[in-house]
Amino acid sequence: MQHVNIDNTFESWRFAARDLLSKRIAPDGVIWTAGAQGRLFESPETTKDLKPTLSVPKQFLRLAKFVACYNDAERWPLLYRLLYRLVFEERHLLEIESDGDVRDVNAMAKAVRRDIHKFHAFVRFRRIDCDGEEIYGAWHEPQHFCVELATPFFERRFGEMKFSIFTPKGCAHWDRKNLAFSPPADKTKAPAADEMEDFWLLYYRSIYNPFRLKINAMKREFPVRHWRTLPEAVLIPELIREAKY
Amino acid sequence: MELRRKLEILADAAKYDASCASSGSRRERAVGGIGNTEGMGICHSYTPDGRCISLLKLLLTNVCIWDCSYCINRKSSDVKRARFTPEEVVRLTINFYKRNYIEGLFLSSGIIRSADYTMEQLVLVAKKLREEENFGGYIHLKAAPGASKEVLLEAGKYADRLSANIEMPVQTDLDQLAPEKTLKEIEGTMADVKSGIDDAKDRGAKSTFARAGQSTQLVVGASASTDTTILTKAESLYKKFMLRRVYYSAFSPAQFTDPNLPQEKTPPMREHRLYEADWLIRNYGFKAHEVTEGLDGGNLDLEHDPKLAWALRHRGLFPVDVNRASKSLLLRIPGIGVRNVDRIIKTRRFRRITLEDLARLHVTLSRAKWFIITADHNPDVFKLDRAALPSLFRRRDGQIPLFAAPAGLTTAVTGEI
Repeated sequence: MQHVNIDNTFESWRFAARDLLSKRIAPDGVIWTAGAQGRLFESPETTKDLKPTLSVPKQFLRLAKFVACYNDAERWPLLYRLLYRLVFEERHLLEIESDGDVRDVNAMAKAVRRDIHKFHAFVRFRRIDCDGEEIYGAWHEPQHFCVELATPFFERRFGEMKFSIFTPKGCAHWDRKNLAFSPPADKTKAPAADEMEDFWLLYYRSIYNPFRLKINAMKREFPVRHWRTLPEAVLIPELIREAKY
Repeated sequence: MELRRKLEILADAAKYDASCASSGSRRERAVGGIGNTEGMGICHSYTPDGRCISLLKLLLTNVCIWDCSYCINRKSSDVKRARFTPEEVVRLTINFYKRNYIEGLFLSSGIIRSADYTMEQLVLVAKKLREEENFGGYIHLKAAPGASKEVLLEAGKYADRLSANIEMPVQTDLDQLAPEKTLKEIEGTMADVKSGIDDAKDRGAKSTFARAGQSTQLVVGASASTDTTILTKAESLYKKFMLRRVYYSAFSPAQFTDPNLPQEKTPPMREHRLYEADWLIRNYGFKAHEVTEGLDGGNLDLEHDPKLAWALRHRGLFPVDVNRASKSLLLRIPGIGVRNVDRIIKTRRFRRITLEDLARLHVTLSRAKWFIITADHNPDVFKLDRAALPSLFRRRDGQIPLFAAPAGLTTAVTGEI
């Protein structure tokens, strides 16, 4: 039994996996342990010296980038098992979507993609006046470690705005030149409501149609666990009470 | 009037337009500007009516010279009236956008003075957003029926989407409920928008005329028209004008006193079934006449989704062998969606598909199992010809089961994105 300790980053896993693969160590023979969550995609110096080893389908690397963000230690042994099977057993494995490992990996990647999508949807910027300068801050609670994959979207969209996004899984800061990342923050970093929030709540209330009520349809796409970071969600109980049939 | 009050009135007045889509357009942020669109729509919030909030949906004004009896903003309605200035709409849009509340603006309006004048006012707002604010977010503008081609072409320069609402499937319905409107005029507006889109395509990739195309909306249940009439009309609109979407809005009589209107609320399930049938026509290769043939009273079955209802009417075509059947036939199996059909086709190149494989693909077996042959033994397929089969799909709690839309497509089915 081989014990492999990695530091919970994709690059760290990749480094270890290459080594195991080159020695052809079967997945059953490996116990993975992971340290603290670090920067997911920062390449440590060590990996740069590594020669490319066995070729794997590009699709695997694309998928693995998302799976690496999944919030469960099971992702590392699963990724290695899939990689091993791809290289030594079945090159078409990823196309066999009814396979248990393929299904699990696809499900993890899908959950992370969804979390990124919800990140783009549910971040709520609040204006903070900082010595007369306009900057925007947001508190968001993603389920997976997707801050680095999700935040370039905000840079593309709001490139002229300085902003910080604080989350318990890491923070991102855009100063109109660079997107920088910092360690996790707690809720005390959440900025206070600004002057537009009243208008937003008023809009939310007014666009709601009390003659139709589809609470399950709402919850399916608007998971309750996100409500605590969304200012408009405080209105939901009273809007449901106001529904007319 | 205070801005807050205007927002309240003019958002309230805008909610009857079901469309909130923000997908299908691409625009990079301009240097020094704000906002982009990346093709995929984003729903930033959801309200308890099950609808998403993707766009800031407003009327410029709810004053209207027309008197369509099914519309809350008709001339003879006693609702409070208000009108935004273009600057107010621009400020709200930019301020909401900067806080990541929205993907952009959906601006509609009551008809003020004339269709042309109204359209010019909408264009003015869009132009300010694009040219003064350098706004790259999504803009959906209502196309006023009968507006001149010139102003529609101007609108398309700034908008990602245009929509002229058809409201009713046949002229006799309009004659009765919307005396100022004609199908000919509304479809003329759609044709003008289509010609703008076609010309832009001919000019090549750089032109940006209504990149997300055009859509329309029908009110369901305010007239006596059946689902068959509605879906036949929708299919012809998709073909003639290359519409991206037809939206269906169930009529609710609570706010209306017109004796010509039905006093019964249109069942929400009727609207839902229309979206499902529409979805089959757009994505599953169904023709409107296939979905609607043999329907009792011309309306879709409220109990069974239209795909299951079709399969139950055509049991002679089943069972289908999932390891051999063509794509078009796989698409007809209840409980198997488009994504799973692709997965089945991919997977069966490498292994013979069993019931367990289908379960792992998250096929809705409770619906599919009666209609399929798999590599292993499927005992349920022998019940396919039983007279009682349709009743087996009824849920024990008496609730009507919904369409087997694959996860993630549910919002598309109900018509939001």
